[in-house]
Amino acid sequence: MKNIDFDAVAEKVARMPGVTCVNLVSHLCLDEGREKMIASIREENLDRVIVAACSPEFKEHIFRQALEDAGLNGHLLAMANIREQCSWAHEGDVTEKAVELIKMATNRARLLQPLERKELPVNRKVLVIGGGFSAIDTALHLSRVGLRTTLLEKEAVLGTGTGEWQSLHGFDNSSMTAAVEGDRNIDVLASARMTAAEGTIGDFTVTITREGEEISRKYGAIVLATGFRTELAPTSTLKLRTQAEPISGISIVSQEQLFHMLHNSIVEAKPRTIGFMFDFSDENSRFPTLTTLNNALAAKNKWGSEIYIFCKNVKVDSEGAEKLYREARECGVVFLKCETTPRMSMDNGRVAVEARDVFLGEDTIIACDLLVAEELLLPIAGTETLSSLLNIRLDSRGFYQDENVHLYPVASEKKGVFVIGGCRGNLDMGRVLTDISSVVMSIHELLSSGKIQVEIERVKADPQKCVACLTCIRVCPHSAIQLIRVDTGKDVAVISDLACDACGVCAAICPAKAIEFQGYRDDQTLAQIEAIGES
Amino acid sequence: MEEIKQAMALYKKILVAGCGTCVTVCWAGGEKEVGILASQLRLARSAAGNDIVTLEATVERQCENEMVAELKDKVAEVEAVLSLACGSGVQTMATMFEDKPIFPAVNTTFIGMPEKEGLWVEMCGACGDCYLDRTGGICPMVRCSKGLLNGPCGGTRKGGKCEIDPDKDCAWVLIYRRLERQGRLDLMREYYAPKNFRAVKRPGKIQAAKA
Amino acid sequence: MNGRIIAFCCEHSAYPAADLAGRLRLHYPESLRVIRVPCAGRVDVIHILKALEKGASAVLVLGCEDGACHHITGNIRAKERVKQCNVLLKEIGVDGRRAVMFSLSPNAPHKFVRVANDIAKTMKESREAR
Repeated sequence: MKNIDFDAVAEKVARMPGVTCVNLVSHLCLDEGREKMIASIREENLDRVIVAACSPEFKEHIFRQALEDAGLNGHLLAMANIREQCSWAHEGDVTEKAVELIKMATNRARLLQPLERKELPVNRKVLVIGGGFSAIDTALHLSRVGLRTTLLEKEAVLGTGTGEWQSLHGFDNSSMTAAVEGDRNIDVLASARMTAAEGTIGDFTVTITREGEEISRKYGAIVLATGFRTELAPTSTLKLRTQAEPISGISIVSQEQLFHMLHNSIVEAKPRTIGFMFDFSDENSRFPTLTTLNNALAAKNKWGSEIYIFCKNVKVDSEGAEKLYREARECGVVFLKCETTPRMSMDNGRVAVEARDVFLGEDTIIACDLLVAEELLLPIAGTETLSSLLNIRLDSRGFYQDENVHLYPVASEKKGVFVIGGCRGNLDMGRVLTDISSVVMSIHELLSSGKIQVEIERVKADPQKCVACLTCIRVCPHSAIQLIRVDTGKDVAVISDLACDACGVCAAICPAKAIEFQGYRDDQTLAQIEAIGES
Repeated sequence: MEEIKQAMALYKKILVAGCGTCVTVCWAGGEKEVGILASQLRLARSAAGNDIVTLEATVERQCENEMVAELKDKVAEVEAVLSLACGSGVQTMATMFEDKPIFPAVNTTFIGMPEKEGLWVEMCGACGDCYLDRTGGICPMVRCSKGLLNGPCGGTRKGGKCEIDPDKDCAWVLIYRRLERQGRLDLMREYYAPKNFRAVKRPGKIQAAKA
Repeated sequence: MNGRIIAFCCEHSAYPAADLAGRLRLHYPESLRVIRVPCAGRVDVIHILKALEKGASAVLVLGCEDGACHHITGNIRAKERVKQCNVLLKEIGVDGRRAVMFSLSPNAPHKFVRVANDIAKTMKESREAR
């Protein structure tokens, strides 16, 4: 950091009130540097440490640990970012800014308080809601890492809701169900639904209703693996028959029905021309792409039909999709890239599809013996109910919303509640498998030791000042606050150390200024502001 | 804000006093609001080149003599007090500190409850002659635009909305539905005489029995 | 506090964006002072007002994009509070542009730099106009 005069900085900082010593060390995060810091803390009997260096986003935890190693509570550390946000961000000499940043951190440090940690026991059992591939596979994996699971299936038989989907992707429902039955770590509750849920991560109390009877169970984590459903897109203007009719009649089928025709039933006359439609109403899902390609190839190989695929785009970013696409093209499957949804009409018992391919530039009419209609992938019935029971949000399509698409895809915004597979709108097999691995790892990390470490009272509502206005309770995005009667007989807001995710929204909104968020208290923030501009 | 600024125009050192009960709960005058109002005033006066010094204090209830007495020292230091309490609190302060001008910073409007976060609706008008037993727990005096006591006016809009204020539900529709649900519709057949506004002699006074 | 701009930066979006700007050696005015917060929703009206009282030219609140807040509604609350601040400032005749909220992603250092440069420029022009 060449544009900072460190000697000048050291000199100015040494003069700040309460500063006992100033050390100039390079590579503070490495062993040698840390040793020096630890030695200083011990020798000078320091109460607080300010580290002026690179961004806290990188190394804050290392320095906190160093404080702990030196016998000082790790939360008595404040950092000043004089590298990324000072030296590297500006041209010319930035010594003055560096000094100010250190002053801000020092002012804050003076007001920091130690935070103790405690270990809380957690329930090691997991509730998996669902009975399809994702649910079963998750339960099997969790069993392998030694965690016990309950599979909660709303129908009478596990996996009823999945239909042909799993076979479509090569997974055998019956062998999976058998594996579950043979696994002592998994118990199945069928014809059962969750009707109430309370508690926080590590300690959920769930009410399950089965055939009118209520059962209460406790779990450490909950996984939603409830899948999805399909519905014909409104673009299909012709009625769908429940069974595919012999080719002489009108035939519009769903992907599942075509799959069934191809693999399970005997078809009298093979359809000579098959049309597929997808990617017009829903451009997000990869599932239709994969099912279309799989079905198209199967139809080509088994029946030798002429296949026309109408779509806006073929998105091949799922695993194996590109290979399937190339295979399909090589077999002679024709893809028509259309900007607008093709029009369908009846023509002598066949479905005439009128489409305009962008490369041909002209309208083409193709008469299909069988048309596989476009489908929408939707959340299953009951998604809204579960979401309000658990107080987790749905995204704009009605699927469960993941916490962060990139960083925490299988977590919901409530700690301890996870969502995987189809019910979070994630609908291709490759991604579903990743979901399952992620959630198993997350839960294993969380629950296996049977204990969880939390900071005690990092965010706390002062029972003396709290007026039980319920604002924080209503506002907390993580449902971490409850109204509880304390020793004095008063009802006050109590923030769960486990469920709190330290956002500070409650602290900011409390009209009585009763909530203190250690590290980000009002006085600590204002102390930083005070430090600015004084030379 | 204009009113407040004008009221404070003559003073250079004031106390901004909050109350920790009702006005805290409805986000109007608790410790947080006190801080914001004081800061706003300081900014305004500093911009005008006429700095003002503000002390800040919030007591648990400003309508309680003993609690207001705690502010004695701070009140002594200032020229005036700006109170964010309801009218009751302002007057308690004014009675306790007779020599000091006490100014209200909020307008007290109604007794209500939060329908949802941040939205308070009027429920009670403190009329002194409660009818809630006859109307299934819905006050027609306050929640009916015309204050009718014997059924709807007949002008109810579609969707059960009030003739006068289309955003409001017709109170009598609500009352009917509530009584229907409880199987007490017979109450609607009874005639109730006009409200006795003399039930509460203003200013109201209640002496509880010695306990 | 001559010409200082205080930026409350959420640790999930703006703070890493600012770090990235530094790593890419993208320059912005030296008058910017970042205060790190766990969520834009931690920032309260009083923090903004006190910063202005102390003499800051402007206060920026920088949080996550719509729908991307790690704490779901923190950024929305921050936006509302900044709006409330604008109203409070308008009531007393203070330039509402001195309290602003921006949304950005952690991988948007250019946006961070642009916002910082723009606000510095606006404040400078408004100072010179006076």
